[in-house]
Amino acid sequence: MGMLRVLSQRGDDTVTWNSEKAEQGDPEAVAAVREAERIFAETRARGGTAYVVGRERPPVQIEQFDPQADQIVMVPRVIGG
Amino acid sequence: MVTGSVASWIGLLLATAPPAIILTAAWLRTSFAERRSYRMLRDVLSEPEYHQLVKQDYLEVPSPSLPERVYRIPRQPGRVAVYEHGERVMELCLQPVKPLPPGDLVVMHKLLIQANEEAYLKTANHFRPGIYTFPAPPLMLWY
Repeated sequence: MGMLRVLSQRGDDTVTWNSEKAEQGDPEAVAAVREAERIFAETRARGGTAYVVGRERPPVQIEQFDPQADQIVMVPRVIGG
Repeated sequence: MVTGSVASWIGLLLATAPPAIILTAAWLRTSFAERRSYRMLRDVLSEPEYHQLVKQDYLEVPSPSLPERVYRIPRQPGRVAVYEHGERVMELCLQPVKPLPPGDLVVMHKLLIQANEEAYLKTANHFRPGIYTFPAPPLMLWY
């Protein structure tokens, strides 16, 4: 299962997908991947950054959406405070 | 006499109900967001990291580039303190353009520091330790 989480004032907005089913062409899984890809691109266009994360390994910043990633967390644009 | 009394109670109710509804809705939204953000913390932080945050009210993230440097991220919104050889050498202020609940802010700082420390340092404003600035308003007031 893949998961895209976008940090927001509501906590986080989440889209999940089944990457195996998507690879097999399951329409529902493919639609979920496309939706995650759209949100990824939209958040990046607004200045957000994306990271592949796991509990026991350091995060890795990514520029392209990766449907094989277990968990992608997106951070909105940041500024000096 | 009775009619006047009822009318004044209705008037009072009409005057206080809208602000009470607005405040309750804001409080519900905020507490829901905070609950979700703490779930995110559980998913992203390792067990020792999560316990440090809960017990000590901050999360320490070692610098990926300098072995003597540690970033101390507060549990509640505030500046990130930078320690070198155990001494507080500066404070960093960086915030998202949209408000985030406290748990998500911790995740945000951790990801940015660990994945791209150079960009983090370039974007954040640097302060000498102890310089006072006004605290950010509580999340509820952002809505």
